Amino acid sequence: MLEVSGLSLHYGQHLALDSVDVRAAPGESVVILGANGAGKSSLLKAIAGLVRPDPGTGIRLDGQSILTLPAHSVVEAGIALVPEGRGIFGDLTVEENLLLGAFARRARDDEAARRDLVYELFPRLAERRRQIASTMSGGEQQMVAIGRALMSNPDCLLLDEPSLGLAPVVVVELFQALEKVHKAGVGLIIVEQNVRISLSIADRGYLMEAGRIVGEGAAGTLIDDPAVQRAFLGMG
Amino acid sequence: MTLINVLIAGLVLGGTYALVAMGLTLQYGIARIMNLAYGETIIAAAFAAYLLQGALGVNPLLGMLLVLPGGFVFGYIVYGLMMRPLVARSQDRGNLEIDSILATFGLLFVIQGVMLVIFGSNYMSYSFLNVPVTILGANVAANRLLAFVLALTIGLTLYLLLTRTRWGTALRAVAVAPQNAPLVGIDVNRTARFAFALGGALAAAGGVVISMYQTFTATSGVVFTMKALIVVIMGGVGNLLGALSAGLILGLVETGVASYIDPGLTLAATYAIFLAILLWRPQGLFGGAGR
Repeated sequence: MLEVSGLSLHYGQHLALDSVDVRAAPGESVVILGANGAGKSSLLKAIAGLVRPDPGTGIRLDGQSILTLPAHSVVEAGIALVPEGRGIFGDLTVEENLLLGAFARRARDDEAARRDLVYELFPRLAERRRQIASTMSGGEQQMVAIGRALMSNPDCLLLDEPSLGLAPVVVVELFQALEKVHKAGVGLIIVEQNVRISLSIADRGYLMEAGRIVGEGAAGTLIDDPAVQRAFLGMG
Repeated sequence: MTLINVLIAGLVLGGTYALVAMGLTLQYGIARIMNLAYGETIIAAAFAAYLLQGALGVNPLLGMLLVLPGGFVFGYIVYGLMMRPLVARSQDRGNLEIDSILATFGLLFVIQGVMLVIFGSNYMSYSFLNVPVTILGANVAANRLLAFVLALTIGLTLYLLLTRTRWGTALRAVAVAPQNAPLVGIDVNRTARFAFALGGALAAAGGVVISMYQTFTATSGVVFTMKALIVVIMGGVGNLLGALSAGLILGLVETGVASYIDPGLTLAATYAIFLAILLWRPQGLFGGAGR
């Protein structure tokens, strides 16, 4: 269980997150919806240890506080982030990216089996394992990023706008892969602007606005929620 | 001198340049520390080999087994004491470079001063394997040949470690994308410290190799820092094979100029190459880090 409670975050004077409460049960798939600048990325960065939240914040994984852990230790605790912009090692090959994905000690057992799984999930990566990652298409780079994160044997995978800048057909392919990852028991927290497709693989969702959580519900009810339709689907 | 003689002398010198440059490229490319006291570490190791050989009768090959780990430990301690505070307060890479240049400029004079007090300012050398070997009709001192073989062996071993192992790949990842390394669980500070220490071990290896066939003095460190820096920039910062090739090229050019034109123009030729690269290929002859 990942529990975020009272998470506030300042960038200088600017309040990016205002006592945000979010939780995700083990293996649960949670989507966080919100416009640009709502604080979605900041939320994921805070969980991943990349930014330091204000005092009084609680971030717990299975009851243990991970609030003060440096980013590299958060990976060891079982949380892997696929950041906006992907964060892959562009100068290294696909294979080397996956090798480093399993850098954490928790990833060393069953590494070979996990690599086979990633290649099964993304056959394109298997074909191009010796290619330098930065020379690949955007969709393929996103596959490298997700594959690399999966190599760390995460309990919970954080994804920051995985669909950004990708062709619709590639987005569908990616979310089919993410659905398989979820079915294999890995928890997902996805930040997205692509509401329809992200809700389609989610169990639950949150709505964010100006650094606050303004709504929460099961994925099936959110898609029919008038507020969601107005804000994101251009209806009403 | 015959052409063969010049080529062999150039490769021997170039191998040494390559070896010391690989250490600097690790320190600069991965740990992001521009270490101006690098040459002093080389000379300190040369003195250590001299003492081991002269006072204790330990030959430099065995001596290397002591001096190499010594260089590693020295680098590890220097990073912990001097560099970590700078890394902690630097907001970006530019700040760290300036701070580390200033800090290691001071360190240069501390190490040099200690060596001057202990060894004085005389040129030192010792005799080791000073017997001629004939290669392709040219006579070469066995110690120079050994120096070349050692430089290549150490350089290629390091290259294989960096490209074929997980931690080597992690070091390269920190060189090319330090901001992304924590995402896979790499502790960037620890990796930087390790790379800096490894650079110290390579400097020490270079010092021992140099002491086998060259004379040296407490103040010759700065020459090696400059040459290593030129080779690093020629090869592309963080690029090990680039450093290896650029080192050999520089050695060949220097020896060629000294033999066929005028020994007095050696340094001028070196800096002409350096200038040309800075102007036309600032990313290095072989591109940047990572490979």
